[in-house]
Amino acid sequence: MHIRVESLTHIYARGTPAERVALRGITLEIGPGERVGISGPTGSGKSTLVQHIAGLLTPASGQVLLDGVPAHARTPEARARRHQVGLAFQFPEAQMFEVTVFREVAFGPRHLGLSADQIAARVRWALEMVGLDPDSFADRVPFALSGGEMRRVALAGILALKPRVLILDEPTAGLDPRGRSDILARLRAWQEETGATLILVSHHLDEMAGLVDRVVLLADGQIAADGPTCRILGDCSRLRSVGLSPPPGVALLEALRAAGWPVHTDALDIEDVVSEIARVL
Amino acid sequence: MNLLLPGMYFAADTALHRLDPRVKMGAAMVLMVLPFAARHPLGHLLTVGLVGTAVVLSRAPWRALLGTLRTVFWLGLFMFFFYFFTTPGRPLVALGGVTVTLEGVLAGALQVYRLCLLAVVAALLTYTTSPLQLTHGLEAMLSPLARLGFPVRELGMVLTIALRFVPTFFEEIETLSRAQKARGIDLSSGAPWQRIRKTVPVFVPLFLSAIRRAEELAVAMEARGFRTQPHRTRLYRLALSRADGVAALIVLACGVAGIAIR
Repeated sequence: MHIRVESLTHIYARGTPAERVALRGITLEIGPGERVGISGPTGSGKSTLVQHIAGLLTPASGQVLLDGVPAHARTPEARARRHQVGLAFQFPEAQMFEVTVFREVAFGPRHLGLSADQIAARVRWALEMVGLDPDSFADRVPFALSGGEMRRVALAGILALKPRVLILDEPTAGLDPRGRSDILARLRAWQEETGATLILVSHHLDEMAGLVDRVVLLADGQIAADGPTCRILGDCSRLRSVGLSPPPGVALLEALRAAGWPVHTDALDIEDVVSEIARVL
Repeated sequence: MNLLLPGMYFAADTALHRLDPRVKMGAAMVLMVLPFAARHPLGHLLTVGLVGTAVVLSRAPWRALLGTLRTVFWLGLFMFFFYFFTTPGRPLVALGGVTVTLEGVLAGALQVYRLCLLAVVAALLTYTTSPLQLTHGLEAMLSPLARLGFPVRELGMVLTIALRFVPTFFEEIETLSRAQKARGIDLSSGAPWQRIRKTVPVFVPLFLSAIRRAEELAVAMEARGFRTQPHRTRLYRLALSRADGVAALIVLACGVAGIAIR
């Protein structure tokens, strides 16, 4: 699906003393199958922007077009487009309400009007996708699971909708390091299998590095930078100027560079950092 | 806080904000009784005038006030039709066996007017009085009961906590309904009974989080050694000013007049 954000502005609590402009004229284009990271400091408008892309908010001005159809419109075409955009909110396990894992994951597909067999197949597929064994988890009570398992169930509930655009708002917040990297690897596998568009919202720049090809930096409701992952994440001074800290590898190379080493700072994972240092040695 | 919510406090420095919380609470009580106790149209006029003046003085945003009316919309509609169809009197039209009377229309309208005034007065009180002041005022007003062993301080604490979480829960309802919409359900369409069923995915998680919050809060309060006894002293003492006296006199006079006019 082609996503086009046109001079989008969003104002919370308009006309009251608590009025706050969250987005100021954002223009952005995301093509089908792209893997995009959206980052920025707290309050920069990340979550507001992705909720607009999912058609959950009404713009103060400007619009979001999903394949040319305004995302928030009340027309059948707009509703059909919205159903193809899956959005996992921050701490998605807070939305769970069903009595079994199966019913929780099946909630979305049931509303798509699928047959019982199709629903069961999707639930199995989605649970496998997030790394939970359907046979042992399907009948368990979601609230008795561990935090990491609950997060996986909640994400499976979104994946079961088979979205063509998947938006994840801080999918790894509050998980332990192993849980983080495992979920990110599974999301990557899911994206490669389906070829869907992936939009990842996070202020953990290092976990973005392995997952997305393009990064959009937001600051104060505006786009501060937009470009290939290594160029954006390798630019320490810009990251710091918007209030983010560069990934550790980049920060290390930057420190070496400041100490007079002729290294490039745009290496993202540990292997790249090591080979960059080895190259100079 | 980025949403517009009923029951929310707006920090500002208006004549109404500066009034003593005890005076405001007393006045709110009078203004909530008046629409029910007044018999003569003049009494109602007096009530509306008084509430209107308070609205202007509070400089409360009109959007916010309209927002509070929205919360009583369904109740108001129900009450209107209840009186509409059940009050005997001069028939206006007959709708398939049910006779609508002039008295019914008037009685329905009266109920809606009373409900709206109640909502506006309650909203004004919370818009212009911080939760802390409200509690302080309530504790001060109930303090005579403390001698009889009534747990005034505990009640004050419960009230503070309850008020503190009203906006939090409204915000949570908003987030949850958006999250469930993102999972493909359409909360704003379908037959009424279907819509009621669709609230389950919003209210079950809401209650769960409310219970979790309550437990966490209790632990946090215990951990910091919270006790209602011995009595804690306050940084700000309540003191009545001349403006408080004037306001109390005006409201009291209007209240007596509104009830006395027959």
